[in-house]
Amino acid sequence: MNQRRYLAVIVWLVFVAASVLVISRSQFTADMSAFMPRDPTPTQKIMVEQLRDSVVSRLILIGVEGAPAPVLAQVSKNMTAKLRTAPELAAVNNGEQAGMEKDFDLLWRNRYLLSDAVTPQRFSAAELRDSLNNYLDLLSTPMSGMAQRVLPTDPSGELIHMLDQLQGQAHPRVQDDVWFSGDGSRAMLLAHTKGSGNDIDAQERAMLAIRGAFDDARKQIPEASSAQVRMTGPGVFSVQSRASIRDDAWKLSLIATLLVASMLMMLYRSPRVLALGLFPVATGALAGIAAVSVGFGSVHGITLGFGVTLIGEGVDYAIYLFTQIEQNGTPQSTLKRIWPTLRLGVLLSICGFSAMLFSGFTGLAQLGLFSIAGLIGAVSTTRWVLPHLLPQGFSVHASTRLSSALMALVRRAPRARNVLLAAAAVAVVFIALKRDSLWNDSLSSMSPIAKESLALDEQLRRDMGAPDVRYMLVLNAGDGESALQQSEELVPVMRDLVARGMLEGFDAPPLPSRKAQLARQAALPGEVELRRNMSEALRGMPFRSATFAPFANEIATAKQQTLLDRAALQGTALGLKLDSFLVPRDGGWTVMMPLRGVKDAQGIAQGIRHVSETSFVLLDMKRESEQMFRDYRHEASKNALLGALAIVALLFISLRSVRRVLEVSLPLAAAVVAVTAWLVISGHTLSIFHLIGLLLVVAVGSNYALFFDHRCTSAQDRERTVASLLFANASTVLGFGLLSFSQSPVLSAIGSTVAVGAVLSLIFSAILIVRNDE
Amino acid sequence: MRSLFMLLCLIPVFVHAEAESSVAATEWGLPQLMQSLAQVQSSQGRFVERKHLAVLDVPLASSGTLSFRAPGHLEKRTLEPRDESLVLDQGVLTIENRTRNIKRTLVVQQYPAVWAFVESIRSTLAGDLPMLERFYKVELKGNAAKWRLKLLPLEQRTRGMVKEIVISGRSDRVTVIEMLEANGDRATMTVTGETP
Repeated sequence: MNQRRYLAVIVWLVFVAASVLVISRSQFTADMSAFMPRDPTPTQKIMVEQLRDSVVSRLILIGVEGAPAPVLAQVSKNMTAKLRTAPELAAVNNGEQAGMEKDFDLLWRNRYLLSDAVTPQRFSAAELRDSLNNYLDLLSTPMSGMAQRVLPTDPSGELIHMLDQLQGQAHPRVQDDVWFSGDGSRAMLLAHTKGSGNDIDAQERAMLAIRGAFDDARKQIPEASSAQVRMTGPGVFSVQSRASIRDDAWKLSLIATLLVASMLMMLYRSPRVLALGLFPVATGALAGIAAVSVGFGSVHGITLGFGVTLIGEGVDYAIYLFTQIEQNGTPQSTLKRIWPTLRLGVLLSICGFSAMLFSGFTGLAQLGLFSIAGLIGAVSTTRWVLPHLLPQGFSVHASTRLSSALMALVRRAPRARNVLLAAAAVAVVFIALKRDSLWNDSLSSMSPIAKESLALDEQLRRDMGAPDVRYMLVLNAGDGESALQQSEELVPVMRDLVARGMLEGFDAPPLPSRKAQLARQAALPGEVELRRNMSEALRGMPFRSATFAPFANEIATAKQQTLLDRAALQGTALGLKLDSFLVPRDGGWTVMMPLRGVKDAQGIAQGIRHVSETSFVLLDMKRESEQMFRDYRHEASKNALLGALAIVALLFISLRSVRRVLEVSLPLAAAVVAVTAWLVISGHTLSIFHLIGLLLVVAVGSNYALFFDHRCTSAQDRERTVASLLFANASTVLGFGLLSFSQSPVLSAIGSTVAVGAVLSLIFSAILIVRNDE
Repeated sequence: MRSLFMLLCLIPVFVHAEAESSVAATEWGLPQLMQSLAQVQSSQGRFVERKHLAVLDVPLASSGTLSFRAPGHLEKRTLEPRDESLVLDQGVLTIENRTRNIKRTLVVQQYPAVWAFVESIRSTLAGDLPMLERFYKVELKGNAAKWRLKLLPLEQRTRGMVKEIVISGRSDRVTVIEMLEANGDRATMTVTGETP
């Protein structure tokens, strides 16, 4: 006996150690790939890549407010100076024009390569004359100074053409040398983090660096003591939501643990037994993580979070064992009695979760494996390890008054049978009527981001003229040159769409392809032709002909000028812009053209399809993500149904009685229906998290139903069984009920679903299951 | 982009006034001139402008209407040789060329040189001495009936473009604005008081 005892404990310890070892070498991921099907469509792939690591996802918008404008401007300047050297940020910009001379110089020196107006006709006598007329107009305007300066060497007007194009693009207003919001109340800065958007730690470090720079600036400027800094952006959202989930989860679980522990402490009267009660679920969690890590190569953050929830059933195992030990009984004898029921309960849960194993979504498949391994770990620990570790002669003395009151209730419960069945039928009809508006698949429905944060984001984005993150044109190409060429083909089409009012604007890569640059160089005329055209154009105009003496030479130089590449743009605002539009990826290049003010997405999609040979895709992040979540949730619902069928099949095999199968499954079905109806009536739209919650309701509830169905040998046995169910239920309700107070929609959805569902399963089991004790 | 506007605004804008304020003859100086200009709430007039530019054989001539509403609304509408309007309102400058269908807007504070130039006229018309002295060294000659303000830019970059601006006037009206640029170009705008 002793040897067996040690053997079980040793095997368990070795298993725990092995799991810890596996987990310590595991790779944890936290991106969207969990929601991605195993065979994603190209658009889905692009979208997940975008969400995971696009330039837009690295953007942090910063607003400084709460002080007079000149003070805010100074804060903005100090912050920028400090952040320029921060290792967490790739770039920071506050509108200060320190670098703009460089850009102007770049535009000027390369005007014949960069201007998209350069064609052979551009230098014909007629077009030169037109341009000179334009200059004449400019000379009588406030722009005469600039016009005069560039006229001699740029009579075809390339610089003016490019500046006009740049002018058309949105940019925030500038006051006291830095960017300000439209109403002048907020200084604006823009930062690009070095770490990718889904690297939440990197995002958090970047936010801390920004906050630090702000605090320093505020200390340096006495008038700025009232100033405040606000940040927004995809990364900021991730950091905030993680923090809020972490805070909530930490705070609420602490309270829940204290409550459950004090309840169990009153029951067990032994800290040792209290601690032992945690062994099954802890072992289960370790086993689950290790199994997923071995089976999938990496563990998803979502698997971890939901998985631990799903094996919440494991907490109950210890309660069933501990509270059902009769006086003078041993854990072994108790187990002998309850093991068949417990085993069936675990098998049912495993059955239910196993449908997820075959899901096309990695996240669901991982969740399935996690739950199965976790439950096996938890129940094995309860069955083979706990009995050896319990103190000798341990048993629970539940108050007799409580027990008898409880038993009286239980005896009377079946009277509510018809009422309950009628109510359940009404709920089914209600849900069937509402089935179209039952689910909400939008990203925002799941996002833990507060409404105020979203409003701030919209505000800052508008102030900045930053593109919204919803629509963009995306293209993957083998090399940078072909990516740029295809973008160039698209630009005239997009201009046309803008002119037709389908969108307000778009951004294109600011670097022409080599092909375009070569074509422009080839379009520049020879010296003789140029002089002839120029003198023809100047006939009858008031310009002094000597003015244009340097022009021919300028063109000759431009014809042999080195072509521009990425490197040539480095260190300028144009270079920064290029880096955000043209990104190397998987050996190729991706071009992203953010769209502004989209009014007719369908029209745009149709419009770009007319461009031959371009493989640009219009990405609607909102629609794609919703579609993906919908597919995911459909698959999860389908698997849950399959799981339910498997549960019923297993019940038939083990109970061998249609009546008993019905009795056991009816309370669970009624509970699921009732919870769903309650959620809908209380104004929730359901998400995948509610579905996870319902799965747990079935898992936990099946144990209740089985224990009610379980044949008891005596009235005391029945009493102990019912009491153990009540305690298990109370601990579930305490734990999950507290979660429902969380700010995070994820935690609150799971919390309220499980808490309500668990209570209803227990009550419904008491009402619907006829006990046939000896 | 900024350089475009740094060099911008070389045409003076004016205004005329029809207010009935009178100046005390005893001790007349810059503060008194500014005070009398500040009394004028709104004014309209016509202008004729001639620009002598190095790149042109002949001077450019233009004419149109001007209007000012204290403290910050200034409008210059060129009618000849082509329709163009220039509107300054609360620090935002809008330039519109209807024939070419071009409209440009800028916040003058963004472009120090433009701001300096715009303030030379707006501050004078509004009698805003502190703002004027923020950008220029101001020299006053003459008397209340006939005066001449010489504005010398303080800022280096503005000095690179504008050598001096001379604003002449009679009592609380501006009559001539002359600008001499660093490169030798010059522009003269004569303002007459008739309402268009």
